[in-house]
Amino acid sequence: MYSRRQFIQIGASAAVTAALAACASKGASSTPSHQTSAATPGTGGTSSTTGSTTPSTTPSTTQSTTGSTTASPSAGATTTVSSVLTPGPAGRTLVIVQLNGGNDALNTLIPSDGRYRDARPTLAIPETDLVALKGTTDWSLHPKLAPLAAYWEAGTATFLPGIGFNDPNHSHFVSLDRWWRADDLTSSTGWLGRSVGPDSTKPLYATALGSGAPLLRSDSFQPAVVIQPGTFTFPGHLGEKVLGRLASPVSADQLHALAQQSMTSTIAAVDAFGGLLKSSASGSGDVVSYREGGLDLINGLDLAARLVTGNVGARIVVVSVGGFDTHYNQLSVQGTLLDDLAKGIDGFMQKIAAAGATDKTLLVTTSEFGRRVAENASGGFDHGAGGMSMMLGGSVVGGIQSAVDLGNQLDGDVRPSLDPRTMYTACLDWLGLDPVAALGKRYDEVKLLKA
Amino acid sequence: MDDRAAVSWIHRRAGFGLALPDLEAATARGPAAEIETMLSPASVSAAVAADPWNDADLPLTKRDSAAAIKAVTTWLDQMTSTTTPLVDRMAWFWHGHFVSALDKVKEARLLVDQIRLFRSSGLGSFSSLLHAVTIDPAMLVYLDGAQSTGQHPNENFGREVLELFTLGLDTYTEDDVKAGAAALTGWRVLPDQATAQFVAKRHDDTARTYLGTTGVHDVDTVVGAIMAHKALAGSIAAAVAGAILGTTDGAVVTPLAQTFASSKFDITSLVRATLQAGVGGQSQPVVLAPVPWLTIAQRVTGASAPAKVRLTGLRTAGQVPMTPPNVAGWPTGAAWFGSSTVVARATLAAAVAAAAPAGNAARTAADGDDLVALATALGLPTPSFDAASSAALTAAKPGVERLALALCSPEFVIA
Repeated sequence: MYSRRQFIQIGASAAVTAALAACASKGASSTPSHQTSAATPGTGGTSSTTGSTTPSTTPSTTQSTTGSTTASPSAGATTTVSSVLTPGPAGRTLVIVQLNGGNDALNTLIPSDGRYRDARPTLAIPETDLVALKGTTDWSLHPKLAPLAAYWEAGTATFLPGIGFNDPNHSHFVSLDRWWRADDLTSSTGWLGRSVGPDSTKPLYATALGSGAPLLRSDSFQPAVVIQPGTFTFPGHLGEKVLGRLASPVSADQLHALAQQSMTSTIAAVDAFGGLLKSSASGSGDVVSYREGGLDLINGLDLAARLVTGNVGARIVVVSVGGFDTHYNQLSVQGTLLDDLAKGIDGFMQKIAAAGATDKTLLVTTSEFGRRVAENASGGFDHGAGGMSMMLGGSVVGGIQSAVDLGNQLDGDVRPSLDPRTMYTACLDWLGLDPVAALGKRYDEVKLLKA
Repeated sequence: MDDRAAVSWIHRRAGFGLALPDLEAATARGPAAEIETMLSPASVSAAVAADPWNDADLPLTKRDSAAAIKAVTTWLDQMTSTTTPLVDRMAWFWHGHFVSALDKVKEARLLVDQIRLFRSSGLGSFSSLLHAVTIDPAMLVYLDGAQSTGQHPNENFGREVLELFTLGLDTYTEDDVKAGAAALTGWRVLPDQATAQFVAKRHDDTARTYLGTTGVHDVDTVVGAIMAHKALAGSIAAAVAGAILGTTDGAVVTPLAQTFASSKFDITSLVRATLQAGVGGQSQPVVLAPVPWLTIAQRVTGASAPAKVRLTGLRTAGQVPMTPPNVAGWPTGAAWFGSSTVVARATLAAAVAAAAPAGNAARTAADGDDLVALATALGLPTPSFDAASSAALTAAKPGVERLALALCSPEFVIA
């Protein structure tokens, strides 16, 4: 009835109510309400739920992927855990890189389909600039992603073109929400937050870098949020001991109690984080930055590598960066961002490899949607549908595991061809967590990790 | 609530708090009179006359770091020293509603001009405000209106104006987005000038049906169609109620929406009704976002922490003015209990407490053990601390440490 704006603009009582409901009744299903918001403590993200007003979606029966696999609504009947690797998942870390704004997938992983160039007379990546992917003529990489070709060749990179939910909506916020909550918009928790394991009490078990990460929203724990690593420390003259006293006894007022809990969890996170920060880069120097977001990809992924290799109990790391909403001047803007992305991932993978942790690390990229197939007149692309995710690490199957058919567009968008929950299932299996508990069922019709 | 609690509530939700002598004076005037004073046209005129920025500090140079710092610092100082708190708080509100950000706009002057618009027009006619925002140079750059031509309109503003700025989801179609985008083509921002210009040959003047209204072809008719939509009053009333009352419950919002609609969408009428509802008991707790929290902390302590410390702290907290994270603005509510924000709040509180001048009531109270006196001097509507906070404050070193700790207490952070 009212603007969705209220969900993100106010938080306040609605957010509090949802957060408190979550605190009060662990495991209880939350009641959807189209006036409910859920900015769960510590996630620091915008939130929205549109409850009954959001188009519901069901797993597609017409989803098309490469090979002979076809999505089926009955896939959930499959209860094998074939993608769970041996040895056990202890010590593994999942790193999610969220590209906020809607990365233009078709100029990231570029199809050889001629319709691509027809739709993009000025913004197609010139053929001479493309980075070839050995073994396929169907796809190439953006020139700035050249450092990632080595991972492709080594079989440690998988690309998932066309990933996205069915019945897409061009709204950033609805699309983000569907990714965050694995399309269950009645839930107050994020798909990873609701899946956490028994070791989630470790202070840096789940850490969001650069901004909050609503996908970590949980009933049972508070993720650490580190916006600026260089300043993630308490002041000398107002120390942890003094502040910590605010936390107990816990108030009967639930919002007050939430504030108290945040003090306790923050003190623990700062303690655990401290050792990682020696010589850490701390973002650009300007106190008021013209750059969007709290961290760039290079610094964010550098910090993520420290978390993974630092033996601090980090199981889930989310790095969020913005700037991908390229309605205008895309060639320049996206080029800079993809340059950062490639350098960040390459640096991350090298540090992981040097620490012998390649097989214990899985990195995936997400973005709320791809952009239109055809360019607009502003040198950019408006909001689209199917996007592209990357998965990197020692356990990925490699190759391209989904498809895009530019001859079968969805009103000028890439028609979604792979449900993101397929990737989520693989990620949860990887961590030894239960996809059924998080997603309602398994989405494992496409194998994304080595057996 | 009693008069003191009501006045304190008004100033923490719709202003930037009051130092003790000012709070006592306002209490003597009473909440009803205070609301009228804060909302009066004289307040708006005074705010506009006291424009805090100097254009000479804001060269129209892209990515000028000094200009950005000056623009933001000046605004923070204005909020701290304001004598027209509601005007400045509403400017802050609209900044989080009609979002533009430096990372895309690149010229701080354009953001400053947009904030000037919010200060001059943020309590006037919503129709006028929407019209002005639609062709505001910073907005034209931020949501790509300046690049949108009749040949191939850019949908960015056309979508967000409906989804986020006015009606909300599920009130419009994709065809409405496209029709609105076409009608709004033709505007650009002149290079090296902070002005928008309409260029007829860049405009698609075709009359279209938009939101059920026929003949829509330009800014006037787009704004007219939005203003005529039945979802508008509820949507804007919910936004204002959410920010001030901490609730969007239909029982609270519906009468506000009716007041708003029957006033022909006069924002002053909406804010007046909202504040009266709050004083009447229809308010829920609100977690203060970093900027209002810091500003209130500085006002009640009389402190001015060093600008660089404030900006660094706000950046760590996740809320630097003029750099909202996306077109929906900042997160709200319990999001501000995230660990980075908690850390930054402690750092900022320590800096503010250290800068509190001798003689300030809160600073003086922090030297003693009377926690009711401290809560009173900090302007808390209920001048007390709970068991945990009381024990922590008692254990803290009297003076700066105790004052800093009080600024981090849930009682101070939750309005």
